[in-house]
Order: sequence, then C-alpha cells, then structure tokens
Amino acid sequence: MMHHSALLLPMVILPLAGAFVLGVLRLATVRERGMAAHHFGIIAAFGPILSFLLALGLLVQINGLPGHDRVLSQSLYQWFAVGEMRVNFGLMADPLAVLMVLFVTFVGSLIHIYSIGYMKGDPNAGAFFAYLNLFLGAMLILVLGSGPLVMFVGWEGVGLCSYLLISYYNDDRANVAAGNKAFIVNRIGDLGFILGLALLFWAIGDTGFDYADLRERAPELTPLLALTVGLLLFIGATGKSAQLPLYVWLPDAMAGPTPVSALIHAATMVTAGVYMVARFSFLYMQSVPAGVIIAWVGILTALLGAIFGMFQRDIKKILAYSTISQLGYMFVGVGLAAYSAGIFHVFTHAFFKALLFLGAGSVITALHHQQDIWRMGGLKKRLPITYVTMLIGALALAGVPPLAGFFSKDEILVAALATGHPVIWLLGILVAGMTAYYTFRLIFVVFHGTPRDAHYEEVTESLRVMTIPLMILAAGAVLAGFINLPPILGGHQLLSHWLGLEAHHSPHIKLELLTILASLTVCAVGIGIAYRRFIPTAVEPVYHGFARFAEAKFHVDELYDSLFVQPLLGAGAAIRRVVEPRIVDGPVQAVVWLYRAGADAVSAVQSGYVRVYAIYMVVGVGLLSFAVYRLLVG
Amino acid sequence: MIEHALYLSVALFCLGVLGVITRRNVFVVFMAIELMLNGANLGFIAFARLHESMDGHVLALLVMAVAAAEAALALAVIILLHKHKGKLDTNVFNLLRG
Amino acid sequence: MSQPLLFYALSLLAIVGAVGLLMFKHPMNAAMSFAVTLIALAGLYGLLSATLVFAIQLIVYAGAIMSLILFIIMFLNIQPDDLPDESGYWYYLAGGAAALTPLALLLLYGINSLSVTSTPEAPPGFGTIKEVGVVLFTDWLLPFEIVSILLLVALVGAVVLAGKREGGND
Repeated sequence: MMHHSALLLPMVILPLAGAFVLGVLRLATVRERGMAAHHFGIIAAFGPILSFLLALGLLVQINGLPGHDRVLSQSLYQWFAVGEMRVNFGLMADPLAVLMVLFVTFVGSLIHIYSIGYMKGDPNAGAFFAYLNLFLGAMLILVLGSGPLVMFVGWEGVGLCSYLLISYYNDDRANVAAGNKAFIVNRIGDLGFILGLALLFWAIGDTGFDYADLRERAPELTPLLALTVGLLLFIGATGKSAQLPLYVWLPDAMAGPTPVSALIHAATMVTAGVYMVARFSFLYMQSVPAGVIIAWVGILTALLGAIFGMFQRDIKKILAYSTISQLGYMFVGVGLAAYSAGIFHVFTHAFFKALLFLGAGSVITALHHQQDIWRMGGLKKRLPITYVTMLIGALALAGVPPLAGFFSKDEILVAALATGHPVIWLLGILVAGMTAYYTFRLIFVVFHGTPRDAHYEEVTESLRVMTIPLMILAAGAVLAGFINLPPILGGHQLLSHWLGLEAHHSPHIKLELLTILASLTVCAVGIGIAYRRFIPTAVEPVYHGFARFAEAKFHVDELYDSLFVQPLLGAGAAIRRVVEPRIVDGPVQAVVWLYRAGADAVSAVQSGYVRVYAIYMVVGVGLLSFAVYRLLVG
Repeated sequence: MIEHALYLSVALFCLGVLGVITRRNVFVVFMAIELMLNGANLGFIAFARLHESMDGHVLALLVMAVAAAEAALALAVIILLHKHKGKLDTNVFNLLRG
Repeated sequence: MSQPLLFYALSLLAIVGAVGLLMFKHPMNAAMSFAVTLIALAGLYGLLSATLVFAIQLIVYAGAIMSLILFIIMFLNIQPDDLPDESGYWYYLAGGAAALTPLALLLLYGINSLSVTSTPEAPPGFGTIKEVGVVLFTDWLLPFEIVSILLLVALVGAVVLAGKREGGND
C-alpha cells in the first residue's frame, strides 16, 4: 500500500523553476552589462534550500508510517500507453530515496551558497547557476522517480548538466574536450543502461514498468537473465560512477569550476550508479554472480584510483582519483548485497569529499587559480579555516576514528569478509592505507612546510560565504558516521535498520574487530609514511619506474585513444571519403542529374520564338482537325 | 459562286497562317494576321448571302473594328520593339526562352 | 453575265496579293501586295451584295489601316540591314502546309457538305446601310458597345505605348 505525499512534486519543481527563472534572467540581461554574479547566486540558492526543507518534511512524513511499509508516492500523469501497458510519470520516496534526497539537497544548498563567493565577478555566472539548479532538479528526478524510465530522465539530465558545467570555461579548448569526453564516455555506459532496461522490460515489464511492480515480479527472472540485466545496468553505472573501464572521464571533468567538482563529480551525480544498484537491489538479489562481479570491478577501481592518486600533482586530480577509489568501495558494498553499507558510504563520502573539494577550491581561488600542489606549501598560516576544515575532511577520508569515513568504510570491509571474499577485504585494507597516504600527502604538501608560491604574502582567507559552508560540512564529516554506529562500538546500526534494504544479519564481532584493527594499522602506517616524507619540508620528487608509470596513469588514456578513438576517427574519415560521396551522395546526385537533364530537354521546347509557338498551335489544330475529319468521314 | 467564295476564304486564312509561321519580319507577320481576319470576314459575308441574314455583315463590321484596334496597338508595340532592339526580326525577341 | 468572270478575276487577284505578302522580302512590297488583296476582297463583298461592308472595307481596311501600316513602315526607315535573315523559309513553308492540310481538308469537307447548288437572288435592300444598321442597333447592341470600349482602350494603350519618351518622366 502506497501513501500519497504532496511534497515530492514541489521538491523537484523548485530547482527546475529556479533554473528556468535564472535562464530567462540570464538571456534577458546578457546584452546589457548583465546582472552581478552574486544576484544570480542568491536567486539560485532558494531552490535547493527550500527543497532541503521539504526533504526534512518528507523525513518526518515517512517516519510517521509503520516500519514495514514506508513508501510515499505521488503519481503525476500517464506518460504513455501502448496497448495494455501504461507507464506513469510519478515520484516515489522510500527511506533510501529520502536519505539520498536529504544529503543531495543539503550538500547542494551549501555548495550553492559557496558558489556565490566562488563565482564572484564571473560574467557568465547566470548560466552557471541555471545549470547548477537544473542539475539539482534532474538529480532529484533521478532519485525520486517511481520507475526506471523516470530515473532515466534524471540520469540523462544530470549527465547533460555535468557536460555543460565541465565545459563551463569554454574559452579553453581543453575544457570543451573534457566535457565532450565525459559526455561520450557516459553515452557508452548509457547504451548498456538502455539495453538493460529494454531487456528488463521485455522480461517482466509488461504490466507497468515501475519499481513496485518490478520488485514483485523479479523472482520470475531466470538466473541468466538476471545476470545479464544486472551487468548491463552496471555498465551504465560504470559510466556514471566512473568505474573500470569507463572511469577516464572523471579526472578530466575537474576542468569545471570547483563547486561543480564538489557537487556533481564527488558528492551526488557520480554516486547515482551506486544508488541505482541499491534501487535495483531486488534484481541483484536474484543474481549473486552479478553482485560479485560488481564488487570485483569496484575493488579494482578502488585500487587503481588509489595508485593514481598517490602520484598526482594537481590538487583536484588527486581528489578526483580519490573519488574514483571511494566509489569503488561503494560498489563493493552494494555488490556484496551490503546495500546499507554502500549507501552509508555514499552518505558520509558526500560530506567529506564535498568538503575537501570546496577546501581545494578555497585554496585555488586564494592562489589565483594555482592547482599544482608543488607550487603551494605552508598555507596553514594564511588559510586557517580552510586548513582546519580540510584536515577534518582528510581525517574522515583517511578513515581515522571517530570521523565519518572510518565507520562506513569498515562496514563495507566487514561485509566483504562476512560474505567470504577475503581477497577483496585484503585489497580494501591496502587501499585504505594508500588512501591515508595520498590524503595526507596532499595536506602536508599544501599546508605545511615552506611556501613555494610567489604570491604567498598576499594570500588571504576566502570570503565568509565560502568558509561557512566549509565549517558546516566539516561538522557533517565529523558527525555523519554516528548515525550508523555498529553494535561493537555501542551503536544500533540505526541507518541500516531504517533503510531496511537487506535482511538483518547478526553482527560478526570477530570480523569487525579484525577489520577495525587492520584498517587502523594501515591508516596509521599511511599517515606515518606521508609524515616521514613531507614533514618538515616536502621536496618535489622525481618519479622513476613504476611511480612514473603510475604518474602517467598507466597510459590508459593513450591506450584508449589508440584502441578506440583513433580507429573510430579513421573509420569516420574513411566513411566520409568513400561511402559518403559514392554510396550516399551518388544516387542522390544521379537523381538530381536526371531531373536536370529532363528539365533541359523539356525547356528546349520553350524556344522563346513567337512563330515556334505558332507552329505548335498549328500542329495541334492540324492533329485535332485530322481527328475530327476521321470522325466525320470514316 | 458562294461556295467558291468560301473556298477562297479558306485559302486566304491558310495563307495567313503560313505567313505567320514562315516569315520573320514583324510587319509581315502582322499583316498575315490581318489576312487571316479578312479570310474569316469573307466567310461571314458569304454565309450572310447564303442565309439571307444581316448578322454576318454585322459580325464583319465588328471584326473590322477589332482589327483597327489591333492595328493601333500592334504598330505601337512594333515601334517600341524597334526602338529597343533596332531590329524587325521576331527571333530577336525571345525573352520567353526556357 | 460578267459577274462570274469578275468574281474569279477578283479571287485570283486576292490570292496573288496574299501570296505576294508571303513572298516579298521588303515589308513595303509586302504591304502593297496586301493592299491588292484587300481591294480585291472589297470587290468580292460588293459581288456578294454586301454594299455597306464593301464601302467600309475600302475606307477602313484599304484606306485607314493600310495607310497606317505604310506610314509606320516608312516612319521606321527600314534599311536592308534591318531585315531579318529569312533562310529556311521553304522548310517552314513545307512544314506549315503539311500541318495545315488536315484543317483545310476539314473546312473544305464542311463547305462541300453544305451542297450549295445555285445562288439565290438577294432580296431588295439586302446589305444596305439601313438593313445592317437596324440589325446592329437591335440584336447586336451589346457587342457593339463592347467593341466601342475596346477601341477606346486600344486608343489609350497606343498613346501610352508609342508616346513613351526615352527619359520616362514626361
């Protein structure tokens, strides 16, 4: 039994309306000097903040429902009807969606506010804020959709906004190329997603293609079909959530403004794949192998991201590879059917990764768009608020208790061990150590040691409008972990119970203890190595051998370029050179030639000479007369 | 005698048509058209005599009036054409060429 | 009776004049030849008891229209260079004659089927100005008025066309 809620539609509509208003304002004022950037920003902040308040209302509403039946829905209209099938455009919220909506609108609001400061003086800020609002609207559609098709609308909407915002500084060709790369790589993933949806529809979708219906009919799927659908959908997730082998777009996506990196490419959009797998948990429960494959892809991505992250020199790229790595963890969680653990990590990660990105943005603006960590250093004194908040974020990311990352990461690792995947567990522990290392490498190089920036003396702390969101997020990064405290630490796993995504399993005290000890050890080792290397002074290292190979990201981009991009470009050029003129244009030109020739032949009759027309007339009269004569005489 | 007048009428009309077709001189073409009108007129007169009716005569008069109007306009056009092209050749005037 | 003789002589003259119109290279010669046809036709109208038409043929056609044509021909002062090249004349003639043969045959067939044997005597007063006038102003009043308007239009048109100055802002 579904319960109606009128809060869902306004929550989605508000940011979309904001985007519309901002777009109109932007177009209306673009010819004149334009509105000031912060005016646009203030208008833009309304949508997310109001949506967040509505999300709180939704939380209250859903908690008022009995524990086993917590689904709110709002059917809007019939989208299309084919034969017996009717697909409705509706919104739906269960605890999973409510959690997503809560942190999406919360982090989104903070990042909108932060952007008011970050985008100050930008002449195109109107477009920026319009895209940002549009993104939020699309993200809410994705999360709150009542069926896979509605989700797909949001899925593509966030992809579009991601593309628009990555290419936002479109004066530079490289940024446009980065946007294109993100868009194209996501198309590859989306193809898998569409195929998966089509297969699912073909199998069990004919009675109404929404989650409630699919959940009931999921047991009808054969194991092979469940595996295929599950993996096809996961291909979509690898595109959107930057997993192997489609992760390559995310580091390049850092070309966009830093608030965009924080909101879209760290906290919200890239976790859509994880959300999707959790949303289709009923499907993945039918196929354990699909989940195991997802988990393996996740842990390998986590390992690869961590390796790359250790050798980068661009502050945002370090964070980007860290995001890829952490997304890998989340897929380990959802892949091994520990949905609440995966989603919990999504939740905590949103706070500390958004915090780290926003802090990095603060550093970058303070240093006038310097992103190379080897040009920074000693900023602790100059940027105290940024330093403290980023340190909190780094501790949370590294997994230092009792901050958020510690709990969520360990829960995933416990799940890996509990489901019998010790190799995944081992790799996870290894990645945790690497994470601690590269995070503190960043902190130490940027904030400690001696200044390396020429303008060091002029550096001042960012505006209040930027630092306050940092502080709020830092508080979130500290506290977010406590909502799902495991029993071993005196908690009750509140979030897992509330989400109710999987059958409750008894706690594995031994496994948890082992995991906690192991992760604390590697965390300490990682931070220790970083400390030994970069304190008191960090020297820019020259990489050799494997490190150099890792710094070059294993040449994966070059490999993809020569494996896929160049052959496809070559094929395109060949088609343009051979197929287009001969096979496509040829017949068309032949038809054109035919009509030309016909027209020439007919127009020869029109000689323009008066007497020739007279001759035609006489010949006509002659023939007519002959016919009449034959009629009369013969 | 009347049927011979009719034969003559046919002959004059056909000669007029031939004139229009064969000649390139604007004046001759114009006069060939007049010849066709006259051939028709002769037919009217002959039939009027045959049927003892005045209507043929009246028609002949009207044709003459039309011919006079046509002559006034055609000659004005010929003067204009001659002014523009300096030629009396109908083949020079081929603006309708397709 | 000299009437048939006169009839055939005038017919011959008319044909000769028409052929001359087709054959003469210079428009002046052609026009003179055409005048012969017109005058011969006037005589034929007289023989066919159309006295009024006879007079008007002479006055309007052979008189007014012909003299207008001659006047224009002389006015344009046509030089031999202005005359068009009439090569291919015979081919056109042969082709035109071939195309016209069915029409001529049809018309002749029609005339023969009337089977006129003798010419009846014309009633008294036939073709006189009074008889024609009565018919013209009773049965043919509307066409008569329309033709008068046509003449007016032609008059205005001729003035507009031929009276145009080169400068145009007269």
